[in-house]
Amino acid sequence: MAVLDMGVAAHPKPNNHEARTAWGLAAPALALMFLILLVPVIVAGVLSFTNYSLGNSGFDWVGTQNYERLFTRSTYEKMFIATFTYVVTVVPISVGLGLGAALLVHSLGRIGDIYKTIYFLPVMATLLAMAIAWEFMLHPTIGMVNRTLAMACGSWFEVIPFFANGCNDGFPLWLGDRDYAIWVVCFIGVWQGFGFNMVLFLSGLTSVHRELYHAAEMDGARSGWDRFWLVTWPALGPTTVFVVTISCIRAFQVFDTIEAFWPQGGGPNKSAYVMMFAIFEKGVQQNLIGIGSAITVLFLIFVMFLTLIQRRLVERKVHYG
Amino acid sequence: MTREWWKHLVLILGALIVLAPFYMMVSYSFKSPGEIDRGEGGFFGRQEVMIDPRCVALRQPDRADIEAARSRFPGQDDAGVQAALLAETEAACSMRPVAFNYTKAFTEAPLMRYLLNGVIVTVSIFLIQIVVALPAAYALAKLKFWGREAVFGLVLFCLLIPVHAIALPLYILLAKLGLTNTYAALVVPWTISVFGIFLMRQFFMTVPDDLIDAARMDGMSEFAIVWRVMLPTAIPALLAFAIFSIVAHWNDYFWPRIVVTGNRDLFTPPLGLREFKGDGDGSFFGPMMATATVIVTPLIVAFLIAQRRFIEGITLSGMK
Repeated sequence: MAVLDMGVAAHPKPNNHEARTAWGLAAPALALMFLILLVPVIVAGVLSFTNYSLGNSGFDWVGTQNYERLFTRSTYEKMFIATFTYVVTVVPISVGLGLGAALLVHSLGRIGDIYKTIYFLPVMATLLAMAIAWEFMLHPTIGMVNRTLAMACGSWFEVIPFFANGCNDGFPLWLGDRDYAIWVVCFIGVWQGFGFNMVLFLSGLTSVHRELYHAAEMDGARSGWDRFWLVTWPALGPTTVFVVTISCIRAFQVFDTIEAFWPQGGGPNKSAYVMMFAIFEKGVQQNLIGIGSAITVLFLIFVMFLTLIQRRLVERKVHYG
Repeated sequence: MTREWWKHLVLILGALIVLAPFYMMVSYSFKSPGEIDRGEGGFFGRQEVMIDPRCVALRQPDRADIEAARSRFPGQDDAGVQAALLAETEAACSMRPVAFNYTKAFTEAPLMRYLLNGVIVTVSIFLIQIVVALPAAYALAKLKFWGREAVFGLVLFCLLIPVHAIALPLYILLAKLGLTNTYAALVVPWTISVFGIFLMRQFFMTVPDDLIDAARMDGMSEFAIVWRVMLPTAIPALLAFAIFSIVAHWNDYFWPRIVVTGNRDLFTPPLGLREFKGDGDGSFFGPMMATATVIVTPLIVAFLIAQRRFIEGITLSGMK
């Protein structure tokens, strides 16, 4: 494992007493690491080949049946589509907006801090509470969103087909409409997460050396655009790798908004049936532990794979600055 | 400034979208149901005295009440007494919308209990994380022992496992132990923070060895060194970690949703809000938003007071 050699270089001299104390100090942490992190991973792996249910005394080995189901049933096809739609939408947009906001805020100096504070608020706020607030905002009749949209009726906005349709037949139901549901969830994901990315980029930006900009200017990078590609973007390399990875992992774990909007079923026509929700519904609510464990295993593989890619990239030194 | 107006324009537009749900949440928590339905009243609502229909319905005077009250309204027939009683009830049940929403938030559901549970759970998680992680981090950073690399490698490996992802097997293990619907179930999976170990180890690496050697000369045990020498040096890092941990667990919904079912005494704030939403008939928007405001406010206020610390804490994971 590549990560193992990140340890300490010099081989420590053995000292019995010190070693015993050290193991003693580390023992509680080690025990908990095994019991709470490693054992469950193994348990999930084992149970994913069974038809176990809580309350049953035994179980049968069913081979790869659970996995076969995951890749053949249309429900799980919808699960993968919803999950990947969410990840592939939310990650680039929230990283892009985070970077954009960071560049703007950074260039404004001290006045920019007020925007930093505002954009960070959703990161702090209880997501479930904000999901419910969004649900009210998106209420088809009394919600603020459709009311605001309706204000545009009768103006030149009606040239846009979306407004023309909305003004005639009513604006979308948002959460109740299977064409919009997953995109609304994505929007809330971006809304909640881009401030976090912005802050990470901001701390990356403050570490870019001023001289590099001067040097770039001497080399003929006159416009801000040139300077961005020549200096800022490469210098932000490690930050970007990290931001993308953590955004992916967070996006894979989306659950609160989905459960708040659709306690049953994961959205209209299962259009927002993401993996965490599937694990919860199959494994916990329906007690189909085999299939829930199989989803868990796939989930772990995705997340670990992403983190390993990130570590590889960082170890290969994405640092140019 | 003139050249930067477009930046402000873009950022203000973004700020409006970011703030919209907060604005709506707080505004609805002030307004009467009628104002919410009709979308009027600006931010604070008109705060006209309103009558709580449920309260009136519950205190509808029956025959016995009318008989009992007859002496207070001499010379009135039954209908008159009933009307007078009804007027009294309505007077008792009328209040300003903001008072209505917030009293309902605390009386319809045991919100105080939920908040208390939130505090108990987040604080216990944080304290146990520290008690477990600090000695391990010290051993990894400052003690030489055979197998240290392997242990650190294990820590790095465990960093790959998000606890939410293994919620199902954890839930099964806890169910097998009969621990679901207990405080233990809410706390146990979070007692080990590999990230905390990693972070504190990195921090301890920067503490000079002389400090530890001096403590050993004074005859301190290694255990005492962890708590009396290392802990005080680590306060800034610990504070950042505390914010990281407390924010994550106060806001966590997924894990409590799995291990606490039905037992309201164990509900954490997000679960309480969820339940409120579940039984609401839809006309209870005001009190629900009041609940949401109460749950969100502590962290937001703390954040506004100590912004720099909070941003440091939440983005800790960015320092890897």
